[in-house]
Amino acid sequence: MSLKPKSLSLRARLYLFSVAILTLFAVNVATHLWGSFARSESLVAYRDAAAAAQLVNDLEQGLESARQQVLVLATLRETTDDPLGDAERETAMADLALLEQRLQRLGALAGEATDDYYRRLFDSANALLGEWETFYSNYNRPDAAVSVESPIRYNDTRQKLEELDQRQEFLAIQRSSTIDGTIRLTDRITVIGFVTTIAVTMLLVILLIRSANSSLLRLKTGVQRFGSGDLSYRIDENRDAGEIRDLARTFNDMSGKLATAIDEVNSAKADADAANAAKSMFLANVSHELRTPLNAIIGYSEMLQDELGDAGEMDRDQFHHDLGTIILSGRQLLGLINEILDLSKIDTGKMQINLEDLAPMPLAVQVCDALSPLLAQRDNRLELDLADEQDISMFSDAGKLQQIVTILFSNACKFTENGLIKVSARAEDNWLLLAVADEGIGMTPEQQGRVFETFEQAESSTGVKYGGTGLGLAIVRDFCTMLGGDISLSSAPGQGSRFTVRLPLTGPVSNPEAA
Amino acid sequence: MSSGQGRKLLLVEDNEVNREMLQRRLLRAGYTVVCAADGQQALDQMRAEAPDLMLLDINLPVKDGWQVAREASSDEALRSIPVIALTAHAMESDRQQALDSGCDDYATKPIDFPNLLVKIETLLKS
Repeated sequence: MSLKPKSLSLRARLYLFSVAILTLFAVNVATHLWGSFARSESLVAYRDAAAAAQLVNDLEQGLESARQQVLVLATLRETTDDPLGDAERETAMADLALLEQRLQRLGALAGEATDDYYRRLFDSANALLGEWETFYSNYNRPDAAVSVESPIRYNDTRQKLEELDQRQEFLAIQRSSTIDGTIRLTDRITVIGFVTTIAVTMLLVILLIRSANSSLLRLKTGVQRFGSGDLSYRIDENRDAGEIRDLARTFNDMSGKLATAIDEVNSAKADADAANAAKSMFLANVSHELRTPLNAIIGYSEMLQDELGDAGEMDRDQFHHDLGTIILSGRQLLGLINEILDLSKIDTGKMQINLEDLAPMPLAVQVCDALSPLLAQRDNRLELDLADEQDISMFSDAGKLQQIVTILFSNACKFTENGLIKVSARAEDNWLLLAVADEGIGMTPEQQGRVFETFEQAESSTGVKYGGTGLGLAIVRDFCTMLGGDISLSSAPGQGSRFTVRLPLTGPVSNPEAA
Repeated sequence: MSSGQGRKLLLVEDNEVNREMLQRRLLRAGYTVVCAADGQQALDQMRAEAPDLMLLDINLPVKDGWQVAREASSDEALRSIPVIALTAHAMESDRQQALDSGCDDYATKPIDFPNLLVKIETLLKS
């Protein structure tokens, strides 16, 4: 599995595969051609050898018969005086010329290796033929000596011819064995090449299939895991190259985008669920908060009705006090309903702001005075630090500012026991900075992040322990925004909380509704 | 009017206005009423006063009503005192939780007083 094609693209692998097969094919064809060439070489050699052997044979017989004729004629000349006819001599000379011709053809067939043998034969045969020619031309001249009986020259020529023949035979055998070796070699190479080609082709096919298969398997595994929801899975892109890697990368990208999309949907769903849960909790809290003052109103009213039916003098002071309780509870209920209404108006964008010139310091004092009964409920003390500039004025909504201070002050009283509540205000640059600080239970950073959200309280159990609907701070935050400012909070558990409201002295700018 | 016949009730309620109102109405109905303003006080008063019945608000500081009810029902000495839960939560799940916590009955605010008297009498008789 450490083969190189792992890191090649599928296309490159296919090309490589084709080139390898074609190369093997070319090698096979070349070997085959070599074999064919060797075969034809061997055929030529055999033919040459056969022709040479035939010539040698013919030459031998020719020489033999020519000698017989010469010997017969020589004997005749000695015993009779019959001259040799012209025609007879012509025929004999033609025979000799034919022998010479054969000798030359043999020379044409003789290669370099037999050259020496041929030259010796040629010299010897030439001399012999020359002797016989002289014999024939001098036959009719009585004075000329004719001595052809000596067999030395003839035997010499025969021996030379024999030697050439043997040499040629030897060379032919040697050559044919070389050629046969070549043929056997090429045959073997052809067979081995053929078998090798089949084996290598099969091996390459198997490798190609395996590598392509493992690549596709990785893709399939990846896609299956994506399909089963495991979007954090990643296909190993580095195991492949080219189009398979591109495909793996595309799948991985797709999975990443899917995961992001699913995360978004999930978080949107979680947000929606949380909002729903907060609304349900809010409804439960609203129900609880409405029932508490209603309980007092109905209970006291029924009780007074019962007491009116009693015989005897009624306690007017007690009666007056009880009616006061009913009225207080009614106002509490009204305040609560107003809060819910305010928030609903803000939510639907129907909250009006009424801008006017106002003096924030006296307004803050007024609110604190009006709420002083709340201080007493948990033995808290108030410290007012409203700077010296009592006469600063601002352009804002008095009602909203009043509500902001009221809510912050009520909260401070609600969550603090036997502590100091500090209300401070001053003008800085073009802003009114109003802070309400307490020494109450405080909040963790996580609670601080949530506390301004609609329907939310620091803890879901806060409504149970301290009352409230989780609307106050949401209203304050929205009012601050509407008036062109903001609200910030610094707090720590057990260390109290400090809310700082920042409002522009010149009123909200760039708010068309302000006009 | 004097149906209470001097039976002693423990009224546990943190809201002063509501506590005062209910206390007066129960007194008028002829009961002896002792009060507690939080969960711990409620358990202390149960031991100290041995009331015949407890009216228990659920939204209490220190220890909430559910916890008081659970602790009372697991305490040998307090188990016999019947408990009516009073709550401004009006969900069905609250009613179930009241009964699960060991309360004997359940009343939602605003209190239907005649109905509450019937519940008290029923529990006192049994």
